[in-house]
Amino acid sequence: MTDTSPDTILEMRQIAKAFAGVQALKGVSFSCRAGQVHALVGENGAGKSTLMKILAGAYQPDSGEIIYKGRRYTSLSTREALDNGIRIIYQELNLLPYMTVAENIFLGREPRTGLGLIDTKKLYADAEAILQRLEMPLDVRQPVGELTVARQQMVEIAKALSQRADVIVMDEPSAILAGHELETLFSVVESLVRQGVAVIYISHRLDEVFRIANEVTVLKDGQVVGTHPIEALTRAQLIQMMVGRSLDEAFPHGQPRRGAPVLTVEGVTTAAVRDIHLTLHAGEIVGLAGLVGSGRTELARALFGADRLQSGTVRLNGEVVTLSSPAQAVDAGIALVPEDRKTQGLFMELPIRNNITLTVLDKLTRYGVIRRRAEAERVDQARRELAIAMASASAEVQYLSGGNQQKVVLSKWLARAPKVIILDEPTRGIDVGAKFEIYQLMRQLTEQGVAILMISSELTEILGMSDRILVMRDGRIVGELAREEATEERVMQLATTGSLLPATTELPGYTGSDA
Amino acid sequence: MTTVAAAPATTETRWRFFRRNAPYLIVYALILVIAVFGTLSSERFLTDRNLLNVFRQTAFLGTIALGQTLVILTGGIDLSVGSLVKLSVLVSAILMNGESSNMGVAIAATLGLGVLVGFIHGLLITRLNVPPFVVTLGSYSILYGIALTITTNPIGRAAPEMLRFYDLRIGPIYAPTIVFIILLVALSFVLRRTTFGRYIYAVGGNEQVARLSGIPVKRVKFGVYILCSLLASLTGLFWLSRMGIGDPVIGDGLELQTITAAILGGTSLFGGRGSLWGTLGGALLLSLTANVLVVLNVNQWIQQLIQGAIILTAVALYKQKSR
Repeated sequence: MTDTSPDTILEMRQIAKAFAGVQALKGVSFSCRAGQVHALVGENGAGKSTLMKILAGAYQPDSGEIIYKGRRYTSLSTREALDNGIRIIYQELNLLPYMTVAENIFLGREPRTGLGLIDTKKLYADAEAILQRLEMPLDVRQPVGELTVARQQMVEIAKALSQRADVIVMDEPSAILAGHELETLFSVVESLVRQGVAVIYISHRLDEVFRIANEVTVLKDGQVVGTHPIEALTRAQLIQMMVGRSLDEAFPHGQPRRGAPVLTVEGVTTAAVRDIHLTLHAGEIVGLAGLVGSGRTELARALFGADRLQSGTVRLNGEVVTLSSPAQAVDAGIALVPEDRKTQGLFMELPIRNNITLTVLDKLTRYGVIRRRAEAERVDQARRELAIAMASASAEVQYLSGGNQQKVVLSKWLARAPKVIILDEPTRGIDVGAKFEIYQLMRQLTEQGVAILMISSELTEILGMSDRILVMRDGRIVGELAREEATEERVMQLATTGSLLPATTELPGYTGSDA
Repeated sequence: MTTVAAAPATTETRWRFFRRNAPYLIVYALILVIAVFGTLSSERFLTDRNLLNVFRQTAFLGTIALGQTLVILTGGIDLSVGSLVKLSVLVSAILMNGESSNMGVAIAATLGLGVLVGFIHGLLITRLNVPPFVVTLGSYSILYGIALTITTNPIGRAAPEMLRFYDLRIGPIYAPTIVFIILLVALSFVLRRTTFGRYIYAVGGNEQVARLSGIPVKRVKFGVYILCSLLASLTGLFWLSRMGIGDPVIGDGLELQTITAAILGGTSLFGGRGSLWGTLGGALLLSLTANVLVVLNVNQWIQQLIQGAIILTAVALYKQKSR
């Protein structure tokens, strides 16, 4: 850390910070250089956000110092951070959907005319200039709500950069983006770098780190594990630094034990998906790949009775089932772990206990009254089976970490012993350790004969976990790949073009299911 | 990482417990303050007679407030309860017409009216997806209109047994109070210990998650709106036993008072959070305040003003505590 190369713009030295007795940062030193992308990685709770909040002035460090542009600070205030060109772009978008791009960029700082009215002409001209400088192809007069998420994020970035910026922190900017939208983000980052900005990039996705970072710093338990130029590291080394143990393989091995067909879908069409044919067998994990918007989530919703079927039949163990509500799907033995656990999977303000037992209350009652002991046993069983780390079952779910929250969602369904589990982005926003536990759990479930349909935008996950891979595009299943023949390129090719170029296996519109 | 998180969580959980229960502590503290104030300022306040009366009045407001709380817990609201009380008083008085022999039919028909109104609310809210605020605002107006079309003057008469119910005592406690307490205990049990109760909190906590968890969301909504209307028509019967006659001025403003009682008791207007014991506190606080002000001969417009101030004070205090 004694590296004081001339273009080092920011240096944080021996930063320590404790919250209510928990030492979140234990003497972290970190520096970054102008015109470089410095990735900051580590599991959830490693201290990344705390460190960045100290940089933004939201927290004051207990000790240590910050050297920024040659000046020494013991702490920064939010005003000092902003005035000196430190910008943070958070994961959540804070935009007003009915206002235009330009209005959003200058919200609260609109240029005024002499009369105190908003100078619309200048507003749009200034916004135009900013977008041009950032090389963002946006229409300043378009309402933000009409833009794709990736473009909305551009607006958010433009808003942050409408004033001078020297250091930009991006907190998991890719978490809300689909695969093909990433390129847009990367090109924005690249143009920032060309302009000499120092970018601090926080991400869980290692592919991205290798793709755009110049340097990487790994945090673990509030300490720096190491800072290295990205060329000096392999993927495996980086993972090992993050989790502190060697994960020879990020995915647990399992022998596929394909049993009888459990779920058979014939010609299902809804408002969002067309003519879906697929079969899930007991004990297999079928990966469902495709770009965001290709109809994966909508297919899951249809199979779960959440969206109306226009035509087609669904058979469970050979019998036709009616799926006009999630309640019917649940009764039939289908479970859905939805993509956004905060808004679709959990009651964030209810106790952990209520979340876990909600789906099985009918089995825990006598004369309609919930038996407390039976409920406590059920909660205890879930805690043991899934290793959910919780202080008390009465605590609200919102206070659990992302990984533990996802385990609560899973336990809620496992209690019903479903025959088919649909997992929509099962490990989104979850740290590496918890991910592995969830993968192991999936394997255990297939060993018990459960059929799993896993939707994921992470190709490594799709390739690592699936026994078979189905690829969707424009509401249709456009191809199927066996585990052995699947590669990232092939999946992406199917997902983006709908066919494999060397006309080897599938044709567009192929709806294959049965081998 | 997990072990680090687990250790400080226990003290934090305890702190959260106080924060979460702050509304109950505050509402009962306010009751105490009003009671002490009443005792110090008038000899007539702290008497058996007066207090038993306050409890009886609390039963009138509280019975509907229980139903209102259930509705609010699911994230809904029922603006029609005042009009339904009014109509129930009239219907029961007309059908009873002072005859004991008509009592059974009149009571059944009045309660049946409540169930019917609640069912229609459920139907409109779940099938047509109309927001509860709009549905019950509409039925508030319709029921009000029907009641005043029937009569603008007192009408009908209570059966003698009905009249006696109001002053009937079991031990020192008046019968309406006892009915209310039984309902409170029973519904509290339902909320805490039955599937239906858990589902109510789930629907109010996040309706989408509830639906995706396979919870019969529509049935739960039907349940709370029917219960709420049923309790409103029951309160109509209470009023008949008090007035002895079908008086069309009864029921005005009850919808806002019941909502106030629920909010004072810490129930979140967004649903998913709150309890009936809190609502008891809210109803007690309202009727106690009204009583103290009457005892002190404060004019009724000033009473309104003071009640408004209490609401704002209480809610401001909750917000402080939940920060």
